[in-house]
Amino acid sequence: MLGKLMKYEWKATWKLLVSANTFMLVMTMLAWCMIKMLEHSQNLEMLGFMVVLLVATYVGSIFAVCVGTTIYLIHRFYTSTYGDQGYLLHTLPVDTHHIIVAKGLVSAAWELINIVVVYVSVLVLFMAVSDFDLFYDNAAEIMRDTIRMLGADKITAFTVIMALIAYVFSLFSEILKVGACISLGQLSANHKLMLSFAWYIGIYVVEQIIQTVYFAIVLAFQKRIPDATRFYYLDSQWETTLIAGIISCVIFYLLTWYVMSRKLNLE
Amino acid sequence: MAPVVQCMGLTKTYGRKIALNQICLNLERGRIIGLLGPNGSGKTTLIKIINGLLRPTAGEVLINGQRPGMESKLRISYLPERTYFQPAMKVIELLAYFQDFYPDFRMDRAYDMLARLQIPPQERMKNLSKGTKEKVQLIMVMSRDADLYILDEPIAGVDPAARDYILHTIVSNYNRSGSILLSTHLISDVENILDEVVFIKYGSIVLQAGAEQIRQNEHKSVDQFFREVFAC
Repeated sequence: MLGKLMKYEWKATWKLLVSANTFMLVMTMLAWCMIKMLEHSQNLEMLGFMVVLLVATYVGSIFAVCVGTTIYLIHRFYTSTYGDQGYLLHTLPVDTHHIIVAKGLVSAAWELINIVVVYVSVLVLFMAVSDFDLFYDNAAEIMRDTIRMLGADKITAFTVIMALIAYVFSLFSEILKVGACISLGQLSANHKLMLSFAWYIGIYVVEQIIQTVYFAIVLAFQKRIPDATRFYYLDSQWETTLIAGIISCVIFYLLTWYVMSRKLNLE
Repeated sequence: MAPVVQCMGLTKTYGRKIALNQICLNLERGRIIGLLGPNGSGKTTLIKIINGLLRPTAGEVLINGQRPGMESKLRISYLPERTYFQPAMKVIELLAYFQDFYPDFRMDRAYDMLARLQIPPQERMKNLSKGTKEKVQLIMVMSRDADLYILDEPIAGVDPAARDYILHTIVSNYNRSGSILLSTHLISDVENILDEVVFIKYGSIVLQAGAEQIRQNEHKSVDQFFREVFAC
């Protein structure tokens, strides 16, 4: 049944999200064309204005698509699980685990697609403003920086794969966190959405406290004077991201499952 | 054979408000049962608990001897009082959806009912009128060979002319070895098809009896008797 649930979740979301990502790629191509046109422009005043306009439009559209995708997926989760469509979903002969996994995986897939499209888009624009050799060198550097940012300080096949896995777990835990907050909000008879927001803020605060305490303990054990670099180093290790991601996934998954299977109260 | 539904001391409260109060009820197989009561009497709450959409505060409900879960969902065909399909879905996609999830879904029966109601399978739900959406939903529910059909206000949103057709659809398409639990406050429209009635008032069962038994003992129609019991 998991496969069927995923199939229908994908069918329900693909049109809007494919359109959004296509829009982002079209904006990238437009920006690329504009850059090429501006390279041959003699009017400096016009050039400055066009660059500002181009950057604002491009950044705005990327932001709109990324934020819009997330809002749409949250709205979709809410309406299909606890809204009117929940009457169908929760009367299907399917396991609650399958419902959570199907929604989580499809949402994670869309977020990953978004990230890949943004990444490709930035590389394309970078290619537009560089010659090929410069692009090749800089693109390689951008990729190395990205991998380092994901927590692999030494770039080997193993660390790259583990950093990517850690990132996927981290992304999945964020999706499950939203699902858990929406689910916990349903425990209230009134103001369910407001309570969902309150749960989100509360969980965020707890996460920050745990992170701070963890850093403090690690630094104390290492008997080093903490500095900004050291904090950055700890924050961006793939091992830390992976363990935190797995623990978060388990906690948020169980919370969502508990509400859906034991405390469901559809109005 | 165990009753298709057994409610034992079923209670549901919302804060201080008691929606269901110690409901004890057995629903036998092969019967069309009317769950009758005024608005706010607890009909929908009881139905949601049977379907596993609400958790009782106390007591227990068993469907085919089991608590609500995957097994009971395979055996119950439920028509809620609201539209639960995605508006962008086509009718034909809904048919495929039901066939994918319910092994007892009869595609030929669904197509036959759609044709008789002249509902185009390629139409999207959002383009249909409210009444037609309800008819599509009813077709989906009645195209299953379930043990229990639970229909929550199936005729409330349609015009009187369509009510007869809907009731005819229900009676001529359900699995004869199963039961129908039909919730409504439009009693005069449904009383001719009912074998049994359950009166519910302020969350309590006030009567469970055969429809014919009421007519013979009270010398009144079920509708007249209902008005007497629930007179304000």
